[in-house]
Amino acid sequence: MKFAPSNQPYDTGNFAVFTKNLEKQFGSFTAVKHVNLAVEQGEIFGFLGANGAGKTTAIRMLCGLLLPTSGSGTVAGFDVWRESEKIKQNIGYMSQKFSLYNDLTLAENVEFYGGVYGLNRKTIKEKRHELLDSLGLTASAGRLTRDMPLGYKQRLALGCALLHNPKIIFLDEPTAGVDPEARRNFWELIHELADKGKTVFVTTHYMDEAEYCNRVSIMYQGEIVALGSPQSLRHEYKKASMADVFIKLVDK
Amino acid sequence: MQQILYLIQKEFRQVFRDPSMLFIIFFAPIVQTTVLGLAITVDVKNIQTVITDYDNSTASLAIRRKFKNNPYFSVSGYVESPVQLREKMDGWGAQLAIVIPSHFERDLVRSQQPAIQVIVDGVDGNSAGIALGYALGVLSDYTIDVAMANPALAFSARRIPLVAPLARMWYNLDLESKNYMVPGLIAVLLTMVSLFLSSMGLVREKELGTLEQLMVTPIKTWQLILGKVSPFLILGFLGLAMMLLVAFVVFQLKVAGSLVLLFGLSALFLLTTLGLGILVSTLAHTQQQAMFISWFFMVFLVFMSGFLFPIKNMPHWVQLLTYLNPMRYFIIILREIFLKGSSLKFLLNEIFALVLFASTILTLSSLRFQKRVS
Repeated sequence: MKFAPSNQPYDTGNFAVFTKNLEKQFGSFTAVKHVNLAVEQGEIFGFLGANGAGKTTAIRMLCGLLLPTSGSGTVAGFDVWRESEKIKQNIGYMSQKFSLYNDLTLAENVEFYGGVYGLNRKTIKEKRHELLDSLGLTASAGRLTRDMPLGYKQRLALGCALLHNPKIIFLDEPTAGVDPEARRNFWELIHELADKGKTVFVTTHYMDEAEYCNRVSIMYQGEIVALGSPQSLRHEYKKASMADVFIKLVDK
Repeated sequence: MQQILYLIQKEFRQVFRDPSMLFIIFFAPIVQTTVLGLAITVDVKNIQTVITDYDNSTASLAIRRKFKNNPYFSVSGYVESPVQLREKMDGWGAQLAIVIPSHFERDLVRSQQPAIQVIVDGVDGNSAGIALGYALGVLSDYTIDVAMANPALAFSARRIPLVAPLARMWYNLDLESKNYMVPGLIAVLLTMVSLFLSSMGLVREKELGTLEQLMVTPIKTWQLILGKVSPFLILGFLGLAMMLLVAFVVFQLKVAGSLVLLFGLSALFLLTTLGLGILVSTLAHTQQQAMFISWFFMVFLVFMSGFLFPIKNMPHWVQLLTYLNPMRYFIIILREIFLKGSSLKFLLNEIFALVLFASTILTLSSLRFQKRVS
């Protein structure tokens, strides 16, 4: 196994996510090029980019699903090379596919993920009531997940990813294919989480969603081409919207 | 431990909600064991026989009668000429022909050792060999008859066996192939169901994206594998119970040995095939790929197990390869327990081999199955 080229200590501070020259190659193709990030605790960090820009690859490296090719990084203070299992205990992750079991009921999905996260029976029962109640789904607890609208599935999937009360949440394209109202509801949910002190690391290709983030990075062909708050980026590139900022960066 | 229980619970909930899975686990074994158990037979019965008798003597009539009265032969007619005989054989009208030459009786009395020609349709070599064996048996029976009636002739002929073999088939008294084939069939079906269930089960979660979700949880790889293997082990037991039921009710088979031992060793074998399924799932990205890879293994497992083709008939190097086939040992175990009632101590070699396979394959699949995406 290859390890990061240098073991020199670097200052990760108290950052929730910190990377230095993180890179991933698949054969001769470099999916992610020397990415440097420092995400503060409690921040909503938007990871923007077109489809295929390398967002998912980057997020998978941070979640311990993929080993980097080179560079270094920490998530919740744990090393992405050596401590991926410790990272997994401290993060919640929701992929583009929502990952609920369609042939289980809503309640069974919650129970299952609670069980997998190692919660005890009593806690699982409490969490199940709490979660279904907060989503207004108590009456539908016994319905099969496949029969539910996408927006509900998405919020329930998020709830399942948070059952173990992680400090950092990674969301990979959580709003892809969801209607505008459900998207707005979902962002409200994200803000509630941030208010509770959780760090939210979210990828999206909807540029309007960037406005909901504290800071965003824009990724293009595996590289971060811009990083800052939405206001400062709009100001810097003299554009009215983040969509225009993105187009300007990509056209360069 | 608790994590594994939740995985098992989830798996059972999914299976019992899916009619096609219930069909595969409960109904398919019953239908397959019944139909295939009847279909796969190597019994050679009703051998279509024609006789050309150029002698038409008392002696040749006695031989004709012997064949006529033998339950394995069905004498379909008498032909006059070699041309007619060839037509019969060519048109699948006869599997075996007996040609009694002219002057057969005269030569017999003169102790000139007359020959009788036995022609067998050799297209199906196995059946041909068995048919020939039966025919030679009938003829030697006739020779003994002659010798008994006329000892002087016998001694002068010097070809009468003075020691008459008295054959007894132990364990399978009537040499009925179902006694041998049904246990083998059970092994084949059990392998198929378990291999496909476990390889497809994991790959389906890969396709759905739920496996990625599980990989981001703190669950350990071995817990995940155990949580996947145990439900299928239990379902494999249910399938086995269904097949045994068919063996008892439809085929009137009895298990001479211990049922507990049979189930216990089946569990050992299932661990091997389920582990192999997980190994397959680490090689495949789609259920279709998993299916193809499973079939690749399946064909070798079945045909090199001694289920249909005796291993001792294979070329030496192929015989050596069969030692790598876990199904080889399981078929021996099943047949021994079914027919001979063998106890644990007679099966130690096979058990040792299966333990070795199960632990190697499960270790290998745990190593290959990583909590990462590729």
